[in-house]
Amino acid sequence: MNRNRHINKVAIIGSGIMGSRIACHFANIGVEVLLLDIIPFNLSKEEKKNKNKKNAIVNKALQNTLESKPSPIYSKSFTSRISTGNLEDDLCKISDVDWIIEVVVEKIDIKKKVFKEIEKHRKKGTIISTNTSGISIESMLNERSEDFQKHFCGTHFFNPPRYLKLLEIIPSSKTSAEIIDFLMDYGNRFLGKDMVLCKDTPAFIANRIGVANIMSLFHIVEDLNLSIEEIDSLTGPIIGRPKSATFRTCDLVGLDTLIHVANGVYQNCPNDEVKDNFKLPEFIKKMNKNQWLGDKSKQGFYKKSKDKNGKRVIEVLNINTMQYAPKKRAKFATIAAAKQEDNLLKRLKILVKGKDKAGEFYRKSFYSTFAYVSHRIPEITDDLYKIDRALCAGFGWEIGPFQMWDALDVVDTLSKMEEEDFKVANWVYNMVKSGKKSFYTNKNGTLNYYNVSTKEQKKIAGMENFIVLDNIRKKNKIWSNSGCNLIDIGDGIVNLEWRTKMNSIGGEVLEGIQQSIKIAEKNHKGLVIANQGVNFSVGANIAMIFMMAIEQEYDEIDFAVRAFQRTTGRIRNSSIPVVVATHGMTLGGGCEIALHADHVQACAETYIGLVEMGVGVIPGGGGTKEMAKRASDAYFSGDIQLPTIKKRYLNIGMAKVATSAQEGIELDLLLKNRDKVTIGFNNLINDAKEVTLNLANKGYTKPTIEKIKVLGKQGLGMFMVGAHSMHAAGYITQHEKLMSEKLAYTICGGDLSSPTLVSEQYLLDLEREAFLSLCGERKTLERIEHMLKKGKPLRN
Amino acid sequence: MRTAYIVAGYRSAVGKSGKGVFKFTRPDDLAADVIKHLVASIPELDKEKIDDVICGNATPEAEQGLNIGRMISLMGLDTIKVPGMTVNRYCSSGLETIAIANAKIQNGMAECIIAGGVECMSPIPFGGWRIVPNYDVAKNNADWYWNMGLTAEEVAKRWNISRLDQDKFAFKSHQKALNAIEKGYFKREIVPITVKEIYLDQNEKKQIKKYVVDTDEGPRKGGSIEALQKLKPVFTEGGSVTAGNASQTSDGAAFVLLMSEDMVNKLNITPIAKLISYSVAGVEPKYMGIGPIEAVPIALKKAGLKLDDIELIELNEAFASQSLAVIRELKLNQDIVNVNGGAIALGHPLGCTGGKLTVQLINEIKKRNQKYGMVSMCVGAGQGAAGIFEIL
Repeated sequence: MNRNRHINKVAIIGSGIMGSRIACHFANIGVEVLLLDIIPFNLSKEEKKNKNKKNAIVNKALQNTLESKPSPIYSKSFTSRISTGNLEDDLCKISDVDWIIEVVVEKIDIKKKVFKEIEKHRKKGTIISTNTSGISIESMLNERSEDFQKHFCGTHFFNPPRYLKLLEIIPSSKTSAEIIDFLMDYGNRFLGKDMVLCKDTPAFIANRIGVANIMSLFHIVEDLNLSIEEIDSLTGPIIGRPKSATFRTCDLVGLDTLIHVANGVYQNCPNDEVKDNFKLPEFIKKMNKNQWLGDKSKQGFYKKSKDKNGKRVIEVLNINTMQYAPKKRAKFATIAAAKQEDNLLKRLKILVKGKDKAGEFYRKSFYSTFAYVSHRIPEITDDLYKIDRALCAGFGWEIGPFQMWDALDVVDTLSKMEEEDFKVANWVYNMVKSGKKSFYTNKNGTLNYYNVSTKEQKKIAGMENFIVLDNIRKKNKIWSNSGCNLIDIGDGIVNLEWRTKMNSIGGEVLEGIQQSIKIAEKNHKGLVIANQGVNFSVGANIAMIFMMAIEQEYDEIDFAVRAFQRTTGRIRNSSIPVVVATHGMTLGGGCEIALHADHVQACAETYIGLVEMGVGVIPGGGGTKEMAKRASDAYFSGDIQLPTIKKRYLNIGMAKVATSAQEGIELDLLLKNRDKVTIGFNNLINDAKEVTLNLANKGYTKPTIEKIKVLGKQGLGMFMVGAHSMHAAGYITQHEKLMSEKLAYTICGGDLSSPTLVSEQYLLDLEREAFLSLCGERKTLERIEHMLKKGKPLRN
Repeated sequence: MRTAYIVAGYRSAVGKSGKGVFKFTRPDDLAADVIKHLVASIPELDKEKIDDVICGNATPEAEQGLNIGRMISLMGLDTIKVPGMTVNRYCSSGLETIAIANAKIQNGMAECIIAGGVECMSPIPFGGWRIVPNYDVAKNNADWYWNMGLTAEEVAKRWNISRLDQDKFAFKSHQKALNAIEKGYFKREIVPITVKEIYLDQNEKKQIKKYVVDTDEGPRKGGSIEALQKLKPVFTEGGSVTAGNASQTSDGAAFVLLMSEDMVNKLNITPIAKLISYSVAGVEPKYMGIGPIEAVPIALKKAGLKLDDIELIELNEAFASQSLAVIRELKLNQDIVNVNGGAIALGHPLGCTGGKLTVQLINEIKKRNQKYGMVSMCVGAGQGAAGIFEIL
């Protein structure tokens, strides 16, 4: 019989690095957490009576975790959702929870002991899972009751659990289908994870491939005589991998963890055709002996130190001499050529054809990865897409090995691999022979993958509620221009996406917004503004503003600013609901777009802020006006008002960027009680679509434009003195003082004698005036130039 | 002109604002308790013969609003007959009220006045709930509105007061205060205040906790100059003024009872002191800390005395930087300045301080069998005040 399963309370056993962070992530999504750990070993008789002393380990671990960066928790206020305890006094409390997760040390006998104790208190039917990264799930079953076995499986989170999206589910032969289905759904909808169902093989999927990849690179380092920093420059963003590339990642994860996984595979995978790759090379053994484990021991492949002038310098290990030397810039002709290409798939093609050492490296490294993953089916999984998903979600790769193989043309690559003596699994040859030239195909907007057992293209399961623009763009595009696409996402809702450099907002995006609203008003029920790039938008296209400002073409700037203001205004001023779905960086102009929406559906990882002061201006696309409006909307009868306007002023004045959607709500950049958070990126556009549909179906009327209360001189006095004091104290520069005063003038509505209700247009005019005036300041131009060149703000 | 006398003076202990002993205590309750004690100490006095209560307060709003001067008269004297008023000259308010009372009695407007001040900085943010500077003024004279810390930094810069000197001065203030507390020097002047706290315990059951506060909370045991040196500047980038070498924000009340010569004779009371001169002076707001440099000479001249005649000085330690600037500029003898510690250790409950320092001065001079003493302080927006007392 099917029953509802609700996860209201979770018990986490073990407060180490993973346990504490998993606890924080459940707190993030609103679940009550009980975090337990052992009592310290050498407590005196007196201390054993003291609860705080008994909980010293778990409390310190949680405290350290809460203070760590990047923050594992969306908001400090969520800490109260976590209660701590010890295994002696508080284990009985697990009878009250809906899910128990074991996160103790990676030793089978200790885990078994913990499970035995858990069984004494666990209520029948409660989910019990382990976060083990390598121990066989099956091997933990014996001596456990039938009910335990039925509800037990592996739930493998990745570090850090807030930010890395992968959750591997590893059932045993006894795990019930209900639990598997529940966890696959819960992990997606509630925890916001990319879910991968794995077989119970050593290191499961992500670590098996990821570590194999790293181990093979360890050997390539020796073979091709490349340095550590050279390998990192070759295996970072240039091939769609994280900035920490290979060796920096090892330092972050910890050499001991890596060695542990490698040893596990070596010992337990006797039939792995490149088993010897998992043997530790000499230099790794030496590093381990010296305990150079990475960040946790303050040195690994990289070491931070100070030169003789006291300046910070990064040193890199030379694996031949085992000495550290200052990091050198790696230069390869192939890389320089590929850097020009923005598109990753095209870039890979350039790299693999390189005629220098880099090209040789890429061919060797890619081909060995391709060969390796081909042999892992069906050993670790029957479904090749899971390997790609695991590596993207767990190791931060932009695309996985099979996707890369597709990008480099499977047939062409196969012949090249044969030439270089790489042995590929038979099923790949069979697939190609049968006329299927790629691992993935897009059929009518659905992404299919080649299923090795049925030898057919199969739909990827569990993606019914995901709207993936890449898959449906071709089929459902109803309008486009050079930067934007308007895509029908079904049920009368259309989605506007833009794909510009860093998704910045220029004329083509403004046109896209205007056109989309016009089209949606005529023929559709509602508009979602969302994209699936790395970031929602980093802001307006300032290169354009810079050009105009340098030429002193103020009429042009005025025109551009008016266009931006009209466009954000149009977002609010439309006859159909417009919902903006934000994710990643939502800065400056991107934030302004979100501020004007009927509703914002924000991905939990939304970094929203009005950062215009960083480039020497104030928000000129309606953002300053909106902050005045939000303050005005918040005033109540008898309100003191000044702290309210000050808070919104400082959002702009200090260029605050929220580090989570939750923080965005706390800053009032997202509207409390109206805007909502989607935990997982996969569900974002669908959630936004549902809200839009709901707004439309309930009967949507274009909002009336209300007047805004501005404080005039009352507010101005406060801000003038504040800016003056900050400057006198050396906290802000002269130019920042100037910008602060112009911001104050705008947000207070000018030097009116008393608080006044003004129209939106009145404030937009003040905004534009301030914006134009600042564009005439040399220091503002310097700031814009610096941002364009270095990608960082300048404080002049 | 008639003579006015101070016949008694008391103060509450001073608590640290925010999390200190008086965080549940309203300023009007605190002041009323001190006034009750003050009046009870002169049993010969018929309460209804008191002509006025003049209360100093630097932030007369919220808990300190509603004309706190009148309120504490109603609350502390248990009669409707005695009026009350509230006076604000920021940090000198508690001394200003004594001067006003003195003047009124001298010219015959009154026979008997309670004067002093109260300030609870716990419930009200510094400067008040709604700070609205004048925009037109701010355009040209924003430094008239500068926070006190900024002015302390300006004084440190102009008078070359080093960070180390400020920290040494701060440390000494604590040492002197701890010594005075240990030796019980404040026992006579402090009114024990009973604090009643109603709170919910762990099981959400209502509990009542009562405790008596009779010791100044500010002075810090186990401090050191090294520890003070580690503190970060709090008002400017790369500054020298820290939380450790600035006065503490505090909660406290202090009041004295003034009477005309006629009333003293009629009731047969032995007076304890006389205010013989009082001065206020204006200085540049950005250097507000040096106010005493202007005010002290005026007070001396009016009293017909020289600096050498003054045997004990209470100089409010708003900041170590400005205290040292004043001491050096006026060439004060440091051995007779703040002998029992100053505001850095004991706290600076703004509107109360003038009254508090007066009470402390009178008691210490009496102990030493001396005659002339001076209370002086700098005042926000660039002022100074000084009062010279003759102890009888």
